[in-house]
Amino acid sequence: MPGVNVIVKGTSAGTTSDATGRYNLAVNDAGPVTLVFSFIGYATQEVDAGTRTTVDVSLAEDVRELSEVVVTALGIERSTKALSSSITTVSGENFTKARENNLGNSLQGRVAGVNVSKIASGPAGSSRVIIRGNKTLGGQGQPLYVVDGVPMDNGQGNSSLMGNNGQAGLWGGQDQGDALSSINPDDIESITVLKGANAAALYGSRGGNGVINIVTKRGKARQGIGVEFSSNYVAETVMKLDDLQQKYGAGVYQSGVATKPTTVQEAFNWGGSSWGTELDGSPTMGIDGVERPYSYAGDNWDRFYQTGSAWTNSLALTGGGEKQTFRFGVSDLRSTSIVPNSGYDRTNLSFSTNAKLGNKLTVDAKVIYSFEYAKNRPTVSDSPGNAIQAIWVRPPNINVDDLRGDPNKLGAIPAGVDPAILLVYGQGGSAKFAGQELLPAANNWGQNPWWAAYQHVNSDKKDRIITSGQLRYDFTSWLYATGRIGMDYYTRRTKGLTPEGVGYQLGGALNEGEDRVREINMDWMLGADKAFDKFNVNAFIGGNKMIRSAERIQANGNGFNVPFQPFINNANQRNFSYGYNSSQINSLFYSAEISYNNVLYLTTTGRQDWFSVLNPEFKNNVFYPSVGASFVFTDAFTNMPSFISFGKLRASWAQVGLANIGPYDVNATYSLNGNSHPSLGTAGTLVPHTMATFSSAGGNNGNVPNPQLIPAVSSEVEIGFDTRFFNNRLGLDFTYYSQKTEKDIVRATISRASGFGTTDINVGELENKGVEILLTGTPVQGDLTWDVSLNLAKNVNKVVSILPGVTELTLEEPRTRNVFIKHIVGQPFGTITGRVQQRDPNGNLIFQSDGRAVASTTYVPIGNGLPKWTGGLNNSFNYKGINLSFLIDFKFGGDIFSGSNNRLTQWGLHQQSLIGRDGETPLHVTGVYNSGTSAAPEYTAIDTDLTPDQARNYWNNVGGESTAISDMFLYDASFIKLRQLTLGYSFPRSMLAKTPFQSLSISFVGRNLAILFKDIDNVDPESNYSANAGAQGLEYFGFPTTRSYGFNLNVTF
Amino acid sequence: MNTMKVINKIILLTLGLMVPMAACDTDELHDRNNNPQALQTAPMEFLFTAAQLGSAAGGSAGDNRYIDWRTNIGLCGYAIQHLATATGGISPGDKYFDNVESYNAPWEFIYGDQLKNIAEVLYQTEADAPQASKDVLRNAARILRVFNFHRLTDYYGNIPYSDALGGIRDLNFLPTYDEQQTIYTDLLKELDEATAALRPLVSTNRDDQAFRTADLFFVGDIDKWKKFGYSLMLRLAMRVSNVDAAMANTYVTKAVAGGVFTSNLDNVWVTMSIGPSEWTNQNGISRAFASGDGGQPTTLSATLINELKGPLTTNISDDDPRLMIFSEGFNGNVDPLAQKGLPNGLDQGMVNALLGQPDVNVRNNFSQLNQKFIQDDDPYQLMNHAEVEFLLAEAAVRGIGGVAAGTAQAHYEAGVKSAMQMYTRFDATLAVDDAKVAAYLAARPFPGAAADQLKAIGTQMWLSKFLNWWEAWADWRRTQYPALTPTNYPGNVTGGQIPRKLRYPNQEIAVNATNYEAGATLPNEPVTKVWWDVK
Repeated sequence: MPGVNVIVKGTSAGTTSDATGRYNLAVNDAGPVTLVFSFIGYATQEVDAGTRTTVDVSLAEDVRELSEVVVTALGIERSTKALSSSITTVSGENFTKARENNLGNSLQGRVAGVNVSKIASGPAGSSRVIIRGNKTLGGQGQPLYVVDGVPMDNGQGNSSLMGNNGQAGLWGGQDQGDALSSINPDDIESITVLKGANAAALYGSRGGNGVINIVTKRGKARQGIGVEFSSNYVAETVMKLDDLQQKYGAGVYQSGVATKPTTVQEAFNWGGSSWGTELDGSPTMGIDGVERPYSYAGDNWDRFYQTGSAWTNSLALTGGGEKQTFRFGVSDLRSTSIVPNSGYDRTNLSFSTNAKLGNKLTVDAKVIYSFEYAKNRPTVSDSPGNAIQAIWVRPPNINVDDLRGDPNKLGAIPAGVDPAILLVYGQGGSAKFAGQELLPAANNWGQNPWWAAYQHVNSDKKDRIITSGQLRYDFTSWLYATGRIGMDYYTRRTKGLTPEGVGYQLGGALNEGEDRVREINMDWMLGADKAFDKFNVNAFIGGNKMIRSAERIQANGNGFNVPFQPFINNANQRNFSYGYNSSQINSLFYSAEISYNNVLYLTTTGRQDWFSVLNPEFKNNVFYPSVGASFVFTDAFTNMPSFISFGKLRASWAQVGLANIGPYDVNATYSLNGNSHPSLGTAGTLVPHTMATFSSAGGNNGNVPNPQLIPAVSSEVEIGFDTRFFNNRLGLDFTYYSQKTEKDIVRATISRASGFGTTDINVGELENKGVEILLTGTPVQGDLTWDVSLNLAKNVNKVVSILPGVTELTLEEPRTRNVFIKHIVGQPFGTITGRVQQRDPNGNLIFQSDGRAVASTTYVPIGNGLPKWTGGLNNSFNYKGINLSFLIDFKFGGDIFSGSNNRLTQWGLHQQSLIGRDGETPLHVTGVYNSGTSAAPEYTAIDTDLTPDQARNYWNNVGGESTAISDMFLYDASFIKLRQLTLGYSFPRSMLAKTPFQSLSISFVGRNLAILFKDIDNVDPESNYSANAGAQGLEYFGFPTTRSYGFNLNVTF
Repeated sequence: MNTMKVINKIILLTLGLMVPMAACDTDELHDRNNNPQALQTAPMEFLFTAAQLGSAAGGSAGDNRYIDWRTNIGLCGYAIQHLATATGGISPGDKYFDNVESYNAPWEFIYGDQLKNIAEVLYQTEADAPQASKDVLRNAARILRVFNFHRLTDYYGNIPYSDALGGIRDLNFLPTYDEQQTIYTDLLKELDEATAALRPLVSTNRDDQAFRTADLFFVGDIDKWKKFGYSLMLRLAMRVSNVDAAMANTYVTKAVAGGVFTSNLDNVWVTMSIGPSEWTNQNGISRAFASGDGGQPTTLSATLINELKGPLTTNISDDDPRLMIFSEGFNGNVDPLAQKGLPNGLDQGMVNALLGQPDVNVRNNFSQLNQKFIQDDDPYQLMNHAEVEFLLAEAAVRGIGGVAAGTAQAHYEAGVKSAMQMYTRFDATLAVDDAKVAAYLAARPFPGAAADQLKAIGTQMWLSKFLNWWEAWADWRRTQYPALTPTNYPGNVTGGQIPRKLRYPNQEIAVNATNYEAGATLPNEPVTKVWWDVK
């Protein structure tokens, strides 16, 4: 049994048992000693060790404290036996061995029913965590994170001021990260996932999407001060998944014939097109006026991407006695990304203390501080500022090292370039000059990768404090009261520089911003825990007040007076913007658990929330009830077969509400434009005029406030069982749930002809049904122990209704602009819709007479970005201090629209674009074309090989905006990955006897080592560029997939 | 343990205090949802000003460049062959390619910026509404609404009109479509009513003075507003003249009777300035051309240059004085005889072949748009006197609305004069004196035959709408003057025809599918013609 405290009675000497249950303890006293073994939920045992060198002890469950205890809603510890819904706990070590910067990503594959998507946005990016499917058509659908009872803003709100720091979208951008990266994995004792509505009901509306409870480590009573040190170093490399054609170089079809560049102008114009002639080694002109062989230039990924690294050092001090304990932790992470000039650093400090003042009063206080520095978050999706796309687009004969330009300012035009060439770079405009961007092609929005990496700035620094203080007063042995104040506060200082001289904005622009977000929670509780004969009652009432405010101040500058000096006070146009909002929820709640003989448990909870964001004239409050029962049948019946070690049935029902709207979203107000506009006054002077428009629609795409919004209601029924067999060597935990959301609040895309782009409406109905299976086993036990656990979840989601007369809601659109994500009645959440090739009444594919495919006029469902099955398989082998464990995780049944493959095909880089070129397999089309009119079609058979020019046109058209055959770029997103592997060795105590170390372990760790199965070429099936709910299943030039591996060292003194 | 007892009491007191704190439906809770950075009510003049600015390139929506960049220049300016490009730029109008943003921009900005704000002005000023006393503001807003809706329907054909813009007040999110004929009927009725209802401002009337302060166009000059209303009526009436002679006749008559623009002093301008925000205050057309902003190339089309140079290619005597106003020359060459426009529909290779040289630098070989038109603080013209004269000339030739046949030449010549002399607000050096106008009219006299007259009028109208390319495109679609030779670049989406309308935005097709299919102008092809386009 791991984690058992072992102390030599009356001394400071102590240790805890390791993962295999072993422990080593040096005893200085020559005399007989008594060892004290303690573990939560088990009766403490004192054993007279005498002079034995091996003391084996088996701990008995403490009937008074019950068996295993988990932290449930509001930080209440409850026995697992009493739980009437599925709750999974993941222990802290799972986050510290092989690390992810973002905690969410570490949960991937670990918990049945928890679907984690790592966003393809770099080392400081977000993760998208969805528990038991998307429960709301609007909102982000992510769970509430709670750190030691303090809710934490995860940066996933609906509006920017709600804390959504930003995701890449149609026009590109950066994933600005979420809150999960702020948490230091070394501070985590455990993470408990409250999956069902029943478990989360006590959190009210904020728990509607499930709750992830993070419990941090606390000090332990011990003599002296315990020191833990760990060091973790990993290297990160690109996992190359691309397989592009290397046969044809830069060029275009001219007069129907593939042509390679012979002049600087042509090289520049065709720098992003791989429709040239076959590479033959003959000289071809480059954009710099240098002739080079027209042959494959080698791997540009190797030249551009570097080996990233992450080095984490953590130190923790713990100590204390019977009256007071403390823990102090410090951790430092330094990392560099595979993209040059990009990285992520984090420093964490935490301090917690717990004191018992007298017999009745307990004080708990904690401060967690983090500082994060994200240096140059990579731009993904659309091309401006996107180095990743800039690497992808280069024709096979281009060597990106030739685009480095000025060695002192990478990506810039070096001094001394021929004026004639500078004129070419000017693209018909004025000549460019040294120091401006060295564009690799005549496309202002397609960047030089070096320039994008070294000259653009997208950095931010975040200071975050999560702190709480709690008092508990025990009136009697069974009656207590608690009061708690917690705060999550962060400031985020952002800097974005569009460098002067960039193709699309020669003057450059600078943006300096600061966000301040504060959330304060105050709660109180009055509770009782009393036994009456065989009955036990554990109940409390309480209240909570949550106040949240967010503020954003930004200064923007455009153009710089002194060239290439990008600071605000040098900007020739400066303006500022200011945003503020605040919201509040008041709540009252109760919980009551009645148990009989530790066999049957009945629980009921209730919570009423009052929202500031809703209109009191309609409905601004909602009550969330829950009931649940659990029955431990192995304790109830004494005549069970002996191979059944434990068995429990559980059932529950709960309702939770969801109020996914931001402050002020229900009120129609006006805002004043930041700038007045002048007219020409009488004497030729400029007279300013004030302007205003709707607050919720400052631009041309505003949101219609809906005063009648009421909270959505999500109800869920869950049944399940937890059984263990053969002395706990085999376990099966099964859950079935059926969840339904009604009156959902949705931000719906509406016709722009309404004057607005979106509105929030209470709509329809959405349901999720699913099963979760957790199978655990210990096939081998002894010197060699093999533990295996398999978790598996299936979720079936269906949009039941939207609005009367409305069957579709439109969400995101990727840059290829030929698919839309929609919610469609009768289909699952987030259907990918696109155009497919038209067919005639006989089912023949319709082409143009020149062979181009004819796309359907409307968008039809072609796939769905959400997997149907998710899960993970974890194996752990222990043999004499050696531990080997690995996690394989998988998702099946989802789709992904690959904008990258779409573009790569159009650019002539995708392997399939070879089909039809001169000398290659011809592109054959079979079907019909319309030889009549569009009003009176007549279909004539077409069955022919296309000419190379027609084939190129065909490939260009199938990826076009209005002509796309979108389903050609839709792929099955299923995968199996070797997510994590660790191989560790714990040094035996005997080897450490003469050292200051109490324990020492070292391990090899690896994350994302291999993709064991996938069904999409060139990119990772997990390459979503955005964590937004409406953008799942969209891929477009995201951050390349990486694998990381390194070493982990753990020492305690 | 006295201290302990004291502490304990404090604790209990604190806990006790927290109970009322957390209950429940409090004023604090309600007050928190009042946005401290927003107005609960606003003077509608503020929205009216925003709509006026929005009518000049969507400036009040925070992107004053987009609609000009994508559509006015990128599609219309090339399609009607004032501009040409061989490389770069957003130029679907040059070679007739699809550009989704060019199709979407007017739909997104005209509905989402100016028309949205005008709808609110009209809502808050209708009878019994809080600002019902602002009748002048309301009538001016109605005229501005017509100005924007006709532009929108000219782009797409049938559009949501009577059911549109109800997003915020009627929670109508998916409006139905109206036939373009229905829309025009109502637009003309609106112009008639609103213009007639405009009354002089009263100096003691606070609403009137607020309107004066707000009015970007005319600083509260009601006479000019009336002229604008009737001139717009003339434009709309003539636009339907090929499909509804009766409507045209009625409203040309009314417009002339009401009083239209009489000189360049009546022209509708929006003043622009450098700051404080380039996205709000600067000229969107200028910004779209600014090379520093990834802008459009500035090469002029051969069609335009050839027309300006006239039939005598070796002699400047028949040159249009606007030749060296529109063109700043190329590569320092400001010789009028040397001016050379770029033919539309060419790529770089074709230009190289045309000149028989490798690596032709287009900018150095073809006439470029005069930078004096595209300074960031250049004013934005919405409508001018010249157009009115040309429309009257056309009405005279065609016998519409009782415009006397004998006045055609006078109207034509007044139009040419005003057209040539209206650019001094861009730059004082862009002046054309009366003698130059007279010389031009002498060199290229108003023809005698009616068909030739219509051609001359149409050509002059086309020239008078330099920069205002969306209007030039509409005029060309209606009159087919001047005769433009379409390009036929490989892969174009029109089969080698000049586009006749914009495709509807994909988002509209996806979101408002039922109403779109029931009411849109289909098929959704760029060669489909709108109702009034029958030539």
